Amino acid sequence: MNTHTPSTTTVESTQKASFSSRFHVRSISGLIGLILVGFWLVISVIGPMLSPYPPNDFVSNTVFGPMSMKHLFGTDYLGRDIFSRVLAGTPYTIGVALAATVAACLAGVISGLVAAAATSWVDMTISRTQDALISIPSKMFALIMVASFGSSVPILILTAAIAYMPGSFRIARSLAVNVMTLDYVQVARLRGESMPYIIFKEVLPNMFRPVLTDFGLRFVFIVLLLSAMSFLGLGIQPPEADWGSLVRENIGGLSSGAPAVIMPAIAIATLTIGVNLLIDSIGSKSVQH
Amino acid sequence: MNKTVLRLIINRIGLGILTLWIVSLVVFFITNLLPGDAAQELLGQAATTQTLDALRAKLGLDLPLYVRYFHWLGGMLVGDAGTSMVNGIPILQLIWSRLPNTLLLAAFVTLVSVPVAMFIGIVSAMYRGSWFDRYINILAVCAVSVPEFLIATIAVLIFAVKLGWLSALSHIENAQTFGEMLKVFAMPVLTLCSVLVAQMARMTRAAVIDQLSSSYVEMALLKGASPIRMVLRHALPNAIGPIANAIALSLSYLLGGVIIVESIFNYPGIATLMLNAVSSRDMPLIQACAMLFCFGYLVMVLIADISEIVSNPRLRK
Amino acid sequence: MKDDKKRSLVDQQSSNILTQGVSRRQVLRGMMTSGVVAAGSGLLTPGSSLAFANTDEPKRGGSIKVASQSGSTSDTLDPAHGSGSSDYTRQYMFYNGLTVLDRTLTPQMELAESFDTKDAQHWVIKLRKDVLFHDGKPFTSADVVFTLNRHKDPKTSSKVASVAKQMVEISAKGPHEVHITLAAKNADLPAILGVVHFLIVRDGTTDFSKGNGTGPFLCSVFQPGVHSIATRNPNYWKKGLPYLDSVELFSIPDQSARVNALLAGDVQLINSVNPRAIETLSASPLVKVYHADSGGYTDLIMRDQLGPMKNPDFVKGMKYIMNREQILNVACRGFGRVGNDQPIPKGHRYYNSSLPQTTYDPDKAKYHFKKSGLLGRSIPMVASSAADNSVEMAQLIQLSAQSAGLNLQVKRVPADGYWSNHWMKDTLGFGNINPRPTADLMFTLFFQSNAAWNESGWKNAKFDQLLVAARGETDDVKRKQMYGEMQALIHDQSGIGIPIFSSINDAASRKLGGYKPHPLGGFMAYMFAEHVWLEA
Repeated sequence: MNTHTPSTTTVESTQKASFSSRFHVRSISGLIGLILVGFWLVISVIGPMLSPYPPNDFVSNTVFGPMSMKHLFGTDYLGRDIFSRVLAGTPYTIGVALAATVAACLAGVISGLVAAAATSWVDMTISRTQDALISIPSKMFALIMVASFGSSVPILILTAAIAYMPGSFRIARSLAVNVMTLDYVQVARLRGESMPYIIFKEVLPNMFRPVLTDFGLRFVFIVLLLSAMSFLGLGIQPPEADWGSLVRENIGGLSSGAPAVIMPAIAIATLTIGVNLLIDSIGSKSVQH
Repeated sequence: MNKTVLRLIINRIGLGILTLWIVSLVVFFITNLLPGDAAQELLGQAATTQTLDALRAKLGLDLPLYVRYFHWLGGMLVGDAGTSMVNGIPILQLIWSRLPNTLLLAAFVTLVSVPVAMFIGIVSAMYRGSWFDRYINILAVCAVSVPEFLIATIAVLIFAVKLGWLSALSHIENAQTFGEMLKVFAMPVLTLCSVLVAQMARMTRAAVIDQLSSSYVEMALLKGASPIRMVLRHALPNAIGPIANAIALSLSYLLGGVIIVESIFNYPGIATLMLNAVSSRDMPLIQACAMLFCFGYLVMVLIADISEIVSNPRLRK
Repeated sequence: MKDDKKRSLVDQQSSNILTQGVSRRQVLRGMMTSGVVAAGSGLLTPGSSLAFANTDEPKRGGSIKVASQSGSTSDTLDPAHGSGSSDYTRQYMFYNGLTVLDRTLTPQMELAESFDTKDAQHWVIKLRKDVLFHDGKPFTSADVVFTLNRHKDPKTSSKVASVAKQMVEISAKGPHEVHITLAAKNADLPAILGVVHFLIVRDGTTDFSKGNGTGPFLCSVFQPGVHSIATRNPNYWKKGLPYLDSVELFSIPDQSARVNALLAGDVQLINSVNPRAIETLSASPLVKVYHADSGGYTDLIMRDQLGPMKNPDFVKGMKYIMNREQILNVACRGFGRVGNDQPIPKGHRYYNSSLPQTTYDPDKAKYHFKKSGLLGRSIPMVASSAADNSVEMAQLIQLSAQSAGLNLQVKRVPADGYWSNHWMKDTLGFGNINPRPTADLMFTLFFQSNAAWNESGWKNAKFDQLLVAARGETDDVKRKQMYGEMQALIHDQSGIGIPIFSSINDAASRKLGGYKPHPLGGFMAYMFAEHVWLEA
């Protein structure tokens, strides 16, 4: 079988087309999602300007201080202003997680499509390699990567992307294989359509929703992986911190109900809920024929 | 047994061995990128050139990398996983002392999370857009977006410290009756379910909805088939592939991904074993754990693929 | 209230440390007069628990669970390889040493009956005759010779190989006498042999997983990285001890999980309590927090091109830029003592009180940074949770340095691999030094020019001369003067900054009786099991 490997650019352009044609938010929940995501995106850009204190300065003698006019979200385990630290952590959290999720999903879907469309030999090579990768637990993988190459933002993005790519791959491949067996695809094959045509015109649109759903959750997982890495003492370098690390470094204040641990957790929750609500409402039916 | 399934299994055993070999290669060489070795970790601050050399010779770390790999591979081929570099205990013994714990926890979590997730996913797909669909969706996303160490710590503070109903530590040797067992597992299972249910439920929902919106289902609906029958007879079987895959992925997390739950509840499972092995650069143990995780994952994926083939007649060609 | 409690502990500790030199002075005086002395034995009955005495009436029986902060599959019952609180605690349950260091850091006789010497170089050790190993074999000189010789064998990879090296000849004279010849005079031998790694194992032991020693507990279960269960040794040679029937020990590395387990009543004793959790714990009616001031510290290490040999001005600047009070209050919540860039804490018998305290002074720091030519440069500073509090300290120092125009970048690295890959390798990093029983050991291990652990690579011929001279010096006033001079040299010239001395924080259930914090480490310097009891 002679297969054509689709190039990255074609996939991107197709996806862009799909996005623009499908991007209409229809429900209230979608609107809420849009507002939440928009809010955090705006904050990630202008947040540092709103910060009442330098986020890394020790501004209070009280640790795990309560909410007050002086410190909106209270103070952290060293007496720093949590409101300023949440603002400062926004670009890290959103930036790293978004970059890693896009990279993971793009790589996963492309390799999934290639594997589904290609010869069994290519399929096997890709699938086995992905299997080998996925069976290494992500936290362990992250630990090894960071210990070997040091902890920097690019390494974190790369690590998270590699760790979460195989999951995306499996789902994409499974969907694609399933769609490939559908009648209209078989018909298209009999018609003698080229493989890229089949993939982008017939297969990809039919996988759109599950892949997007998967994207939303993968985003959450990567945000959480960053926080899990701070559990293991890795992740973003102090004194900077992403939201997950903020939760982690202030976990000692949980028993006294310190806002220092609750507020970053709420920030994570609102962002992930926003992303998922928005994604759920993007596109409606993806019916073909 | 179905011929296709049989062929698949035989095929997969071969491929599985191939995958395991790739994993062993990848893990062996990745972990060798780690700075430091077992001898340095063992001696810590007490490492001097002399003591290091002596210990390296004793552990066989003075041999070249590829020689060590072939020694290890040779051992594996005859079923000998070697002994731990840090305490001299046979690897198999170390793993056997912890594997039952990991499997028990995984079994509990599976028993709770899979039915719940399937139920939520299918019902919310059937009544798409209803209040149930919306609230359960938001609830699931909420649950999954809280870092698991936070859920675990909150649970401990409420149920163990404040109320005193449960033990803060999950020590199974103290559990004799089934009731005590439930008490021991309540908090770890709760924590892990809140991590896993959302993902499985959402993938189930998405896959079922996708089938419901495809042409043959619409056709059948036009012919007057009932919605429930429609979902169970037509949509679900076709959606099994993606669902089973999502479940397999989620559950493979229960082998090696539960480091945080194991360490907070002081539960002696395989994940902490591997974490320790990485920290102490105990190569044979890292290798064995990686092999085990890969094996567990392959089995899970095999089950997912078999259920896909069995449920989708089109794939039985 | 808390402060009062703390102060009283400090006072108590200081007074304890003041008596620290007694044993050594006795050894030295003994050498000059009678020529034979049993170190410390005139003060306390050999092997008694008087140093740990408590007013409450001890009770027999009961079992406790103990959670330590460290523990992994590398847990070992081999004293030569032990590291971390879990190993040390287990080893003290199963084995005894020749001597033991009490809370005043004075060596007390344990398996030895006496240490005799005429010149502090040739030692005669008499052993107890009534001691049995757990397997029923009697304890003899062969066990001591075997144990001590093991450390000298490179194949053992002992953690105290460098210390054991000075025992050039170890021989048995009869079943209950051992002769040791040292390479050079060292009156501290009884204290050195009280270190946990020198616990006595049975002659010819190769498999240490059984924990066959002479100690107060028998090893029933030992699973590395999981747990151990120790049961009472009914034939223990100290009559009436131990009080407890069994002790289960496991590790909970996560700080807050460890604290919660104690609060929930699942364990009765924990070590290494985060200072920020102390308030919560103190509020609970069920538990009690114990502090001990120690001579341990987390230090800033400056070496290589930033170090004392190449860039003394940078080192001076860094010493001025450390805001010690802030580090003490923010990183440790006030639990600890301010340090002065030398390893002998205030209140110690040999503390040099004439040394001026270095204080936070950004202007002076800026002056020195400018002179060093590093002002405005960006310099990485490596910290890790492996070195207690170093991540917090690094952030505080970074912020202060900013105000003096020095740009330090905190690089947090994983705890595993820290000691082998970063410690004493980075030009700017942190070390974590556990308290040692004698001033001589602190100086020898960490500041002598050729010491393996000379953290900043500092070389000073005068310091080395003073060190050797002080070891053989019999006049205590002169020795104190020498030690004072050495402290001044370290303070002025060495490349390490010691902003604070740490505090040892343990917490236990109020039902646990007989618990007394010890300046050498948590868990009563890991020896609690023999001395504590459970109130009904």
